[in-house]
Amino acid sequence: MPQLVTVRVQRPSRRLIRFWLPVLPVALVFSPLLMLAALVAVVACVVYRISVLQAFVTGWRFFCALSGTRVDVHEGRSAVLVTIR
Amino acid sequence: MTEQRRDILDMLAEGKITAEEADQLIAALDRGRPSVATASDLRPAGKPKYLRVEVDTTEGGEPGRVNVRVPLQLLRAGVRLAALIPPQALVKANEELGKNGIPFDLTQLKPEQLEELVEHLGDMTVEVDQPDAKVRVFCD
Repeated sequence: MPQLVTVRVQRPSRRLIRFWLPVLPVALVFSPLLMLAALVAVVACVVYRISVLQAFVTGWRFFCALSGTRVDVHEGRSAVLVTIR
Repeated sequence: MTEQRRDILDMLAEGKITAEEADQLIAALDRGRPSVATASDLRPAGKPKYLRVEVDTTEGGEPGRVNVRVPLQLLRAGVRLAALIPPQALVKANEELGKNGIPFDLTQLKPEQLEELVEHLGDMTVEVDQPDAKVRVFCD
């Protein structure tokens, strides 16, 4: 499961923006919203006749597989780096 | 003489391509050979874990670089997630693809086939060399 998301944004003649998002604490803070999203997902699964359990297991696997993702974009003197660990 | 070189010469003999095109293809073949070897040399031994996409560009004189690393596990999970897409949505997607000139039937695509494709991604290396851009897709 991903533990930490790191975002680094560098723009010319601006301060380097760098922040770390600890996934679990952020998920806890947004848990009411997550519950609401889960409810919407359940309704969508029922409407489209998809197994709710299968959808959640697959979605969870997808989320867990995000660890190790890294996107690094440099354009001239601007750069964006996103890493998921 | 390699098989690819013979194919090019056959196409030239059959008049499918011009001598100039044949020359360009053979030159591209010669250029491609050492770079493919380099890519496979860079690949560490063992099962690949990540799909890497590297793009180097020089647009308007400014160098640009995109480096994306996606875990192959994420692709496998994505394939399983895609298997949950309802058939109605696939039909709509087919219609849109058809409208855009891509006659592709997504309903014929089975999750097992996609998983097999992901399994064999490790053997794949795509390199595109252009004067202002270089793209490399490989697994490591």
